[in-house]
Parts: sequence; C-alpha cells; structure tokens
Amino acid sequence: MALLEVNDLRTHFFTREGTVRAVDGVSFSVEKGKTLGIVGESGCGKSVTALSIMGLIPKPPAKIVSGSVLYEGRDLTTLSERQLEDLRGREIAMIFQDPMTSLNPTLTIGTQITETIRRHYDVSQKQADKKAIELLEKVRIPRASERLGDYPHRFSGGMRQRVMIAIALSCDPKLLIADEPTTALDVTVQASVLDLLEDLRAEYDMSMIIITHDMGVVAEAADDIIVMYAGQVVEQASTLDLFDNPEHPYTEALLGALPQLEGANVREGRLTAIPGRPPDLIDPPKACRFGPRCPHAGSDDCTVHEPQLRELRPGHWVRSSHPASERTGTRRPEGAPV
Amino acid sequence: MSVTDAREEALATEPGSAPASGAPIRQTNLWKDAWRRYVRNRAATLAGVVFVVVLLYCLVAPILSPYDPNKINFTIASQTPTLDHPFGTDKFGRDLFTRTALGGRVSILIGFGATLAILLIGVVYGSISGFVGGRLDNGLMRFLDALYGLPYLPFAIITLQIIGRTDMWTMMIALSIASWFTTARIVRGQVLSLKENDYVRAAKAVGARWYRILGRHLLPNTLGVLIIAIFLELPGVILGEAFLSFIGLGISPPDASWGAMAQEGRTVFRSHPTAIIVPSVAIATLVLCANFVADGLRDALDPRTRET
Repeated sequence: MALLEVNDLRTHFFTREGTVRAVDGVSFSVEKGKTLGIVGESGCGKSVTALSIMGLIPKPPAKIVSGSVLYEGRDLTTLSERQLEDLRGREIAMIFQDPMTSLNPTLTIGTQITETIRRHYDVSQKQADKKAIELLEKVRIPRASERLGDYPHRFSGGMRQRVMIAIALSCDPKLLIADEPTTALDVTVQASVLDLLEDLRAEYDMSMIIITHDMGVVAEAADDIIVMYAGQVVEQASTLDLFDNPEHPYTEALLGALPQLEGANVREGRLTAIPGRPPDLIDPPKACRFGPRCPHAGSDDCTVHEPQLRELRPGHWVRSSHPASERTGTRRPEGAPV
Repeated sequence: MSVTDAREEALATEPGSAPASGAPIRQTNLWKDAWRRYVRNRAATLAGVVFVVVLLYCLVAPILSPYDPNKINFTIASQTPTLDHPFGTDKFGRDLFTRTALGGRVSILIGFGATLAILLIGVVYGSISGFVGGRLDNGLMRFLDALYGLPYLPFAIITLQIIGRTDMWTMMIALSIASWFTTARIVRGQVLSLKENDYVRAAKAVGARWYRILGRHLLPNTLGVLIIAIFLELPGVILGEAFLSFIGLGISPPDASWGAMAQEGRTVFRSHPTAIIVPSVAIATLVLCANFVADGLRDALDPRTRET
C-alpha cells in the first residue's frame, strides 16, 4: 500500500468573482521511501495540492469539495482539526519556500526547534535541547551547540532553510512535503540543500514530495514526476521516462524552455517560450485546458472533448489527445512559428 | 557529556574560536536597539527622567515628610511657599508638598490601574477578533463601532453612579470601561496582519495549536505596540480622573488626588493661587511627559523609523 494516496482531489476557492478551481481532480500516490516531484508553472495548483494534504488551506474561501487524501489508509480530509494538528509535524511535515520569513524573528532557533519536539514528544527541555543539537548537526550547521541560542537574523538564507529542515525532521515524520524548498536560495546553495534533503530522506527512510517549477530540481531529486497544468495532472511518469520521452505537449514545451549546456541534442539559439498564458481557473477551457496554447491542437476534438488521463505505456500517464508518440506527420517542424 | 556541558564548553571557547569565524559580531537585540534609539531622542529622554522623578517624589515624599497630610491646623493656613512648606499650605493648613505626593500616588495608581485594565480588555477582545476572523471578527468590530459612539466622560460618570461608591477601584472601572476600544482595534489589526506571516503557517505545519500560535507567535510581537499604548492611554485616564475629582465625582476629601486638590484650590484661587497651581502643574507635567515618552517609544520600537 502506498504511504499517501490522493484520489480525485478537488480544492476550490469560493471568491466574489466566482469559483476558482485551483485543484481539479488530482490523483497520485507516494510510495514508502520514494520521492515524488510535482512540477508546473505558478498558479497551476501545486502548492494548493500540498496544503490540501496538510489541511492547511485557508477556509474560507478554499474548500476541498471532493476527493480523498489517504495517509496510511486514513482519509485526512475527514479528520478533525485536532486530529490533523497531532498529525502535522509528527507524521507529515512541510517546509516552505521562503526561509527568510518562515522563522519567527523574535524566538531563538533553539526555542523554535525544541518547541516542535516538545509539542509531539513528552521530553524534558534538556532532552529536547540535545535532540535539537543533533538535528542541527544533521543539517550540517557548523558549531551547532553554540548556535542554538541565536536568533534567525544571524543565519543566512541557506542556513535558515537548513534550520527549517531540522524543524521539519524534529519529530521523525514519514512524509516530508517540500514546497519550492530551493526557489528562494542562491543557485550554489540550492544544490547543497537538495543533496541534504535527499541524504536525510534516505537516512530517515522518509517519503518526500518536492514541489517546484524548476525541472532541474526534480530531475535531480525525484523518482517519479507529475506535471500539473491548470489544476490538473497532465502527465505522470518516472523521472527518466519523462525526461527521455516526454509525451504531453506541455511537458515538451517545459523541457524546451530549459537551457541545455551539454548533451547530444543541444539546441542553439534562443530558448523556446510557451505562447499565451495559463487559463483563468474560474472559467477554464471546456475541453483540453492546454488546447489554446498547444502547438498540436487541431480543429478536431481538442476543443470538444476533454482528454482523460490515460496510461500510454506502463507507468506513463498522459492527458492529451496528441501525445508525442501518437503524433504522425501533424507535428510542426522544429522552429516553425506557432 | 550533558547538553549544558557542551554549551558551556562552547561558550568558554568562544574567544578562541572567534577569529575562525571572522570578527566577533557585536551582540544586539531588539530591546538594546530600542534603548539606544530612545536615548538619542532628547525630549523623550528628558520626559522619561522627569516622569521617573515625579514617580519617586510621590513614592518617597510622604514617607520622609514630618507633616501629617490630613492634620488640620488653621494657624498656618494658606501659606505661600516657604522653606518649611516648599509648596505652601492649603486653606486647612495642610502641607501641600506632602499632599501633592499623596494625591499623585492616587492619581498615578488610578492612571496605571485603569490603563492596565484597558490593555487587558483590549488585548483579549482584539486578539480574539483578529485571530478567529471571519464573521465573529465582523460582529465584534461592528459592536465596537457602535460603542465608539459612547462619550467617554459621561459614560464614566454614569458608571460611577450605577456602582454608587467612589474609591480607587471604582474609579479604575469607570475610567476603563469606555476607553478600551482603540486598544482593541490596535491589537486586532496587529494580530490580523501577524497571523498571515509565513512563520505562523510554518508553525501550523508542524502541529502547533492555536493557543501556542497566539501566545508565542502573535501576542509577543504586539508587545511594542502595547507599550506605546500604555503611555498613550495614560494621559487620557489621568486627565479623566482629575476631571471627575474636580467636578466632585471622584476621590473625595480628606483623601487627596490631584483633581480633588485642584477642586479644593479652586474655591480660594483669588486669594491663594498656589493651592490650585501646584496640583494643576503636577497633572500637566505628568501628562506632557507621558505623551513625550509615548512618542519616543513609538520611534524607538518601530523598526521602520530605524536609522543606523
């Protein structure tokens, strides 16, 4: 049984302008000890998916209208706030995008770590301090025992994200959700934080969900990847398969927008951007949501029928009427104007 | 080796390890910073010093004074200031230097007591409103809007009439019951904006309960605003007390408060102006100082006015 199973999750925001279907029928599962990457551009519903799992969506205006989130067989969407609080941190922990604002500036980092420990475990302050030092050493903060009494402003961005990781790991969760964990960091620091996350995931035998818009990040860290677009999963595959044989035109376009420095087919010239903008989630396109931006959308059923997620080959799911491997001749020549 | 051992050892080796991490960083924190900025503000510093001097005078003068503040002695009535009686005496021959200090005790005690009550009500009301949000917030705030229409002093007078007893405690109640609205609004606004902070969400993500979030992450961060609020409310409350006592609804003779003393002085102000000038100047001094201190604190505690 998978550790986490999300089935047909729909989280909508009920606003004055209308119902925003931020997450609209998302399903996936995370196996024990595996890392799942969720990729997509801003506003595609990645973060809302994560917050829905944690039960942290702002209600109102947001509401999980249907679907289930099964964690070890328990449906988290039916739990009370009290039960969720006990679960958060202890079973599922989350780290956020901006380490500069995710720590309370008025409390020492020692306090912030030990508080979390003592929230979930019945230990003395001394034991909690000891565990906090161990954690800080684990996340490779030098002179950990001295830094316990320091306030967050004395740490750099990368160090603060390490502290956030230490807090997230303090109660040995089984699932770690990292929402854009490296986006706010320097490129050089990004790699080390990603390495650290992967090492700790292995050491703690956790599962991990990494949410990012950076294909490079998931390529490095994830076992499986789901690509989200406009609140839906448009492609799901193992990392290797997805990068080698992207099927959905959107995935192809995302990879096409990625700079390549080496390899067999290094493109020359400009990076290709995806024309148009993501659809309005209050009133998304009736049929294929990527249709208006898709270079392969014909006059055929792309504007009539909503494509369903189908398994193209074992383990590779796609939601498109024109996946790459089924296209013959309709494909525009490379570089042709769209 | 225990944790404390490790920390002590680490601290002990601090000077030695400092060169490795570059120049030692000067330890500073919010309060030290605020203190530095406050002291730089000359008017506020002077006001703070005067404020403390007045407090000390009220506290110490009655203890050291050789005069019984309530003893009536008409042979020395209505004296102008002399060496024996620095502030003179009132129409009953009581030493004004001693009585002003005693009256100050009452006035300041009522002032601080009512201010604390205002803060308490305001913090509870405001933080509930801001923290829960939604419909409850809306309801509580509209109720507050309605209460804002209540005139402060008439409401205090009515309250005193309803209680039917006038002493320090009832004065505190009367003065705080219609003046906590602004504080509640300030706290609610603070909580409302603070709870959107990422660290609140991060705390929730590791399972923190509501009271922990409120008590640890929200209220401590409103402390600066509350300290300013104390000194902003204080003058109003002290003036209110003085006014009530002056029109005869507050502290009544032979007990003294600055307002009551001014009331006694009013009857003789043509022949013996000292009796009204002394308590009036005392009230004015305290109120002025409190205003300056509030101003200085606001500048010192607000990071946006922070200069290097």
